[in-house]
Amino acid sequence: MRKITPYLFLIVPLAMYIVWVLLPIFQTVIVSFTRWDGMTKMRFVGFQNYVQLFRDRYFVLSFTNNLKWMVGFVLLSIPLGLLFALLMDQRFPGHRVYKTLVYLPMALSFVVIGQIWSWILEPTGGIVNTFLRWMGLSNLARSWLSDPKVVTYSLIWAALWRQIPYAMVLFLAGLQNVNRERVEAAMVDGANAFQRFWYIILPELRPAMVVAVTVNIIDSLRAFDIVYVMTRGGPYYSSSVMANYMYIQAFHNYRMGYGAAIAVIQFLITLVFILTYVLNVMRREEREI
Amino acid sequence: MRTRRKKWLYALLFYVCCTFIAVLWMIPFLVAMFTAFKTIDEVFMLRNFWAPPRTWTLENFKIAWKEGKMSRYFVNTLWVTSISVSGTLFLSSLAAFALSWYDFKMKKPILMIFVAGMLIPFQMLLIPVYKFSVVTGLYDTLTGVILFHIAFQLGFCTFFLRNFMITIPSSLFDAARIDGAGAFTIYVKIIMPLMKPAVAALAILEFTWIWNDYLWSLILLQSDIKKTVTIGLTTFQGQWISSWNIIAAGSLLVASVPVVVFLLFQSYFIKGLTFGGIKG
Amino acid sequence: MRGFRFFLLLILVVASFAFGKERVIINSYMSDPAPRKALEELVKMFEQKYPEYEVVINTFAHEDFKVLLRTWLASPKGTADVVTWFAGERMRYFAEMGLIVPVEEVFAGSKWEDYFPASFKSTCSYKGKIYFIPQSWYWWGVYYRKSVFEKLGLKPPKTWDEFLQVCETLKKNGIVPIAIGTKFPWTAAGWFDILNLRINGLDFHIALTAGEVPYTDPRVAKVFDYWRVLVERGYFLPNHSSYEWQEAATFLFRGQAGMYYIGQFIKDVAPAEVKDDLDFFRFPIIDPSMPLYEETPIDGFMVPANAPNKKGAIVFLKFIASKEAQEKFARDLGRLAANVHVAPPDEHARKGLNMVLESAGVTQFYDRDSNPEMAEVGMNGFVEFMHNPAKIGDILKRLEAERKRIYGK
Repeated sequence: MRKITPYLFLIVPLAMYIVWVLLPIFQTVIVSFTRWDGMTKMRFVGFQNYVQLFRDRYFVLSFTNNLKWMVGFVLLSIPLGLLFALLMDQRFPGHRVYKTLVYLPMALSFVVIGQIWSWILEPTGGIVNTFLRWMGLSNLARSWLSDPKVVTYSLIWAALWRQIPYAMVLFLAGLQNVNRERVEAAMVDGANAFQRFWYIILPELRPAMVVAVTVNIIDSLRAFDIVYVMTRGGPYYSSSVMANYMYIQAFHNYRMGYGAAIAVIQFLITLVFILTYVLNVMRREEREI
Repeated sequence: MRTRRKKWLYALLFYVCCTFIAVLWMIPFLVAMFTAFKTIDEVFMLRNFWAPPRTWTLENFKIAWKEGKMSRYFVNTLWVTSISVSGTLFLSSLAAFALSWYDFKMKKPILMIFVAGMLIPFQMLLIPVYKFSVVTGLYDTLTGVILFHIAFQLGFCTFFLRNFMITIPSSLFDAARIDGAGAFTIYVKIIMPLMKPAVAALAILEFTWIWNDYLWSLILLQSDIKKTVTIGLTTFQGQWISSWNIIAAGSLLVASVPVVVFLLFQSYFIKGLTFGGIKG
Repeated sequence: MRGFRFFLLLILVVASFAFGKERVIINSYMSDPAPRKALEELVKMFEQKYPEYEVVINTFAHEDFKVLLRTWLASPKGTADVVTWFAGERMRYFAEMGLIVPVEEVFAGSKWEDYFPASFKSTCSYKGKIYFIPQSWYWWGVYYRKSVFEKLGLKPPKTWDEFLQVCETLKKNGIVPIAIGTKFPWTAAGWFDILNLRINGLDFHIALTAGEVPYTDPRVAKVFDYWRVLVERGYFLPNHSSYEWQEAATFLFRGQAGMYYIGQFIKDVAPAEVKDDLDFFRFPIIDPSMPLYEETPIDGFMVPANAPNKKGAIVFLKFIASKEAQEKFARDLGRLAANVHVAPPDEHARKGLNMVLESAGVTQFYDRDSNPEMAEVGMNGFVEFMHNPAKIGDILKRLEAERKRIYGK
């Protein structure tokens, strides 16, 4: 009886998961080896889609953009999220209000976020350029969403508006676990704020740091909504990312097979990072037990 | 005396910094708010997105509610979201229980399956799931959407809850077992009560994500009366015209629900994430 | 459990209501407030005339509709009887795959020409059978502000040189000569189309959009030579890729831009105080020996092959084709009805109609006449050209590679 108990608990969730998630994934993998417009018959073409992918300059461009997203997310959301968390972790009156306000972007749907930022980055009437001109820095004003050189960075910043609060929350949770006594002992010993941070707090934040880094890497590889809503990957593919390119190929160009191949590659890349993270977590568990 | 002044100075510094950050972060919200209160001509003709409206009007909210059939869509979305959240929390807690308290051959592979499946680019699933829904007759039903959400969220929820469950001391489990309690009794009477904070935190996250879902409601629903709020919003994006002010008003209405849910549960939430994992 | 039972009850209730009547389900992309209302009223008129039918309209955002349509058409079980769509290649694409059915029965006892202009027939047919019922159509012209022109003493230009002079005068007076919003690239495709029609003519344009002519053909390059003049002299709205077409239109409305080559629907968006000040002229003549052609996208309805109620669909389409239905729709929206017996609703429409009647031929629109994949790459190519005119050689080479791959010739 004991032996099958876990399976009894698992049977319904696993069954649903297999039907709605795993089977579709396998179906998509199969489609990636075909040429299919989603409507007529599928034609098996082997690795043709994949070969074409690696020669597709727009796919390479999308992947490069994803890497930019990754750098942006990791280099900006981690330090800034940590900074905000450190600031807001102090128990001054009203700290809950501040935390809630900064958290709010996470409650909005991406469609709304994308729309709001389109207005903010609007070249003539948007806040950013209006502010720059008001400060006398009008030569810094750009057409943030239509200049191919800056468009990806503008999108990354719009995404960060939501991503930094997320990192902040992760670090806030991590800071709850920091041993206060050690920090106070260090204060008594005469360590200044920076030393306390670097030698005591930061090492204890490692688990939260790992989570935050992995989350940001994965989210940067999956980026879709912001790009789709704000620029559709334009102007002429300069802000395209893998998920957006996949969507356009599959649903605008009726190339389901090609789109599926892109999705599979994206999945494989993300899987590498997932496995790294999970193995890391499992190692941590074994240490705790 | 000096340390007291120093403390006061630090406090002031913190307030200034935090206020600065909070204000900066709220500017986009302000933009949305202002736009929601403007008339369409003002939005088009003046193009000052950051300026407060010349004439404040509540018309947009009224139009978004009535023409956007928001009352109907709010009901639909509440229905879908609450059932999906309950369903997925229940099922994933079952799975998490099995995966944390028992050692069996398939344990690691099954856990891997849940984890791997949770971070796929979901656009990959669109066509297969659509076809499946049509073939099984679940297309254009709220039930179909609910079943999909439950299944899809199982990956992350199972992982999240399992991570929390393994921190519960096994002595509780062993003691109950010695007392002769069956697995399900242990689950209901011992484990789940201890999981309340984690479940509450997860409930907020799941509620927000399912409430704001756009893609699946679009693909799996067709009839006007069945749509959800996020789809209802897009009816203001016409072929030729997009009524930005109405969309802004509608977006604020739509966003109000997850914000309220968050405010109600926020203390649980921040505590709960300590035990959890990640979510995108 | 309770939820499921309630649901079952709901289904039974709805089913019992629907039992008495036959149902016709329409999926429409008319998400703009005015056309949507017009369609709803048309449906009411239909239900009054044919009380044995009950019609359900499902409306979708325009961009979403384009994506969803394919999933509906390909689905093993159909869920819609009638769908809105565009005439031309976009429609033929589905006819070729057998995903929509001919609607010849609409004309039982009569013929096409009793209802619609003969020139529309080919764009609504595939292999000689009619698949598409047109409802309304509109023209593209160069819209301008009468008051702005008057103030600067300008008259609508008739030739290319006059056009360049108008642009120069506008520019000298601090007004952007040509407004355009290319965030969604189809506005740029409009320019390509009309320049190609003026320079190379209708047959060449049709052949090109059908994928039969290489993009590296020197005649295509000639189009870009003319276009380049406008780009390099800075006549287009700066940062046009940031704006959707209607955001760019606001520059025209505020008198900050002089002209906009766009479709008649711009009047739908114009604020009240500007509406009457808007007028249009035919796109200037480049080659005096070339006959005049114009763009006239046609919107209408078609029937999916998997429609559950094909009979009802035909009855509905017959109503749509009738004079009274066409007249109502045209009058409410200021559009031109496809039905020949319906007079243009106002002066503005009459002017458009005359312009088209005086033309030697009409085309749909680049993305309605081409294969969707080619259209996507092509339109993005045009926008890239507008940013970087010097790269046109590379762009055309790339488009040609895509054309070869897509059309296989």
